[in-house]
Amino acid sequence: MPCIVTNSLSKSYGSIVAVDGIDLSVNSGKIFGFLGPNGAGKTTTIKLLTTLIAPTSGTINILGMDAIRRPLDVRKKIGVVLQQPSYEPTLSVEKSLEKYGMMWNVERKTRKDRVEELLSAFDLEEIRKIKNDDLSIGQRRRVQVAREFMHDMELLFLDEPTVGLDPSARRGLLDFIKKKVKEGLTIFFTTHILNEAEYLCDEVAIINKGKIIAIDTPNELKNKFGREKTIKIRIPETKKDVQGLLIDVKDYEIDFNSGTNITIRSNDSEEVLLKILQILTANNISIENLSVMPTTLEEIFLTVVKNSNASSN
Amino acid sequence: MHPVIRLVNRNLTISLNKGFLIWQIVFPLIYIFVAGFAYTALIHSVPFGNKSLDYPAFIASGMIGFNIMNSTLISGIIIWNDRRHGMFEQILVGPFTRSHYILSNIYTIGIVGLISAALITAVGYPLFFKSVEFNFYTIPLVVFASVTGSILFGSIASIISTRLQSSEGFNVVINTAFLFFAFVSTAFYPAQGAPEPLSTAFYLNPLTYLVDVVRAGMFGNFSTFVGIEMIVLVVVALILFTISTKLLSKLEI
Ligand SMILES: Nc1ncnc2c1ncn2[C@@H]1O[C@H](COP(=O)(O)OP(=O)(O)O)[C@@H](O)[C@H]1O
Ligand SMILES: [Mg+2]
Repeated sequence: MPCIVTNSLSKSYGSIVAVDGIDLSVNSGKIFGFLGPNGAGKTTTIKLLTTLIAPTSGTINILGMDAIRRPLDVRKKIGVVLQQPSYEPTLSVEKSLEKYGMMWNVERKTRKDRVEELLSAFDLEEIRKIKNDDLSIGQRRRVQVAREFMHDMELLFLDEPTVGLDPSARRGLLDFIKKKVKEGLTIFFTTHILNEAEYLCDEVAIINKGKIIAIDTPNELKNKFGREKTIKIRIPETKKDVQGLLIDVKDYEIDFNSGTNITIRSNDSEEVLLKILQILTANNISIENLSVMPTTLEEIFLTVVKNSNASSN
Repeated sequence: MHPVIRLVNRNLTISLNKGFLIWQIVFPLIYIFVAGFAYTALIHSVPFGNKSLDYPAFIASGMIGFNIMNSTLISGIIIWNDRRHGMFEQILVGPFTRSHYILSNIYTIGIVGLISAALITAVGYPLFFKSVEFNFYTIPLVVFASVTGSILFGSIASIISTRLQSSEGFNVVINTAFLFFAFVSTAFYPAQGAPEPLSTAFYLNPLTYLVDVVRAGMFGNFSTFVGIEMIVLVVVALILFTISTKLLSKLEI
């Protein structure tokens, strides 16, 4: 069952179109990654979906409810960690978790248990008595994310939750999220860090300049856009004119920094490789090293965004 | 529990800390006892309606009004901090509406104003008990002053905190405004006897009206003039309250 559905969702600020006709359908029980470069419209989309701002046009349905007509009903069922920090400067870490649970009307006993569980899961036990004002930015971010798990929810929005976290805290958070999803939570997650999305997400959408330019599972995206493989061949120094020999071959680059390096970048890299190998053997040139670069989501992302920028200019 | 009550609970938790209690109790106490007795040598008695008060009783009753006003600063500080530290947005993506947020601030200042008034009344009582004339409108008048005064000054503090952008600006403006209210008023000295432009200035200041109403209640000195002052307080409080609610409900995210 889809728990987020939008139709031609748009938001403009004056002449800036921050979100431009987005159609989304996110299924329950999944982690949905929303990827895009800075300024792409990720935060604006989250603010629209969480009813913090009203759209210029389009429809939003969250958990079966019209989010524009029933914003409060929607907000009661979701959790939101905004990109912007938020904290109570005068409260200690444990007190701020406890009070947040109170604000969500969580029972006192449950609150107490959850505070302990979250302090340990987010590695906050050592700083539990410290005031938020005195925490580092990364610690505050951890408290902010942990705090959101004080209350029950069906759907959680996370806007770049790992920014400012060190690698171990980052991995800890991603694994905690995975655990919660196994227990039935749905997550809408924005990031500009691609391997995070690759590690975590069941489905990803790539947004650029307010428009969704690709949407699929990470694997399908790789199949679709990742046909372009990169292969590197290194040959020893030779007097032969390698460039001249390869004159008829397309989609490769050659450089002569410490030896001769040939880089193939093509949708048919295997074909290109075969041609080059034939020419090299025919001319008795041996190969020192040959390597194939695996396609990462990052490369797909860069390709897709580059293409979209090129076509919109 | 109702969402507004949960927000009030949170407001009280974040505001009622040591610093606030020192500001609200220790500071007024020093004023009442040190200034009250130090000035007794200079000011033997203060004419008040048809009777005269000794200076400690006069200043202790003035401090009730002063304390009500000061306590409303917390509404400004809460709004200001919520904007600056992202809690305003966070509350609005939670199970609350803007009206809940606004109402919770009003209740918070009302409660803190009443508590402050009660604290100073209790602490200052030994000083003015000789002059107090309890009657059936003493408590209603003091409560009226606490509530109207809280809403009036609370609205001023919210207006300042929704309009300003920088922390330096916020502190300077709010401190200047409240310093002016405190010292250009009848909280610390009577209007009679003050040189002319000053004694008129006293009556451009809502704290003067607030303090007059408190004193009328405590010292049994109700008059038509106090009645008019009450009407002025209500009207000004309503106007400021409307403006501050408008600003808060339009505050950009
Ligand atoms: N309140 C606002 N007023 C004007 N422009 C805005 C506002 N919020 C966002 N924008 C603009 O909308 C675009 C998308 O921003 P945002 O959603 O924050 O991107 P992202 O989160 O992907 O980095 C940017 O060009 C940004 O400058
Ligand atoms: Mg963003």
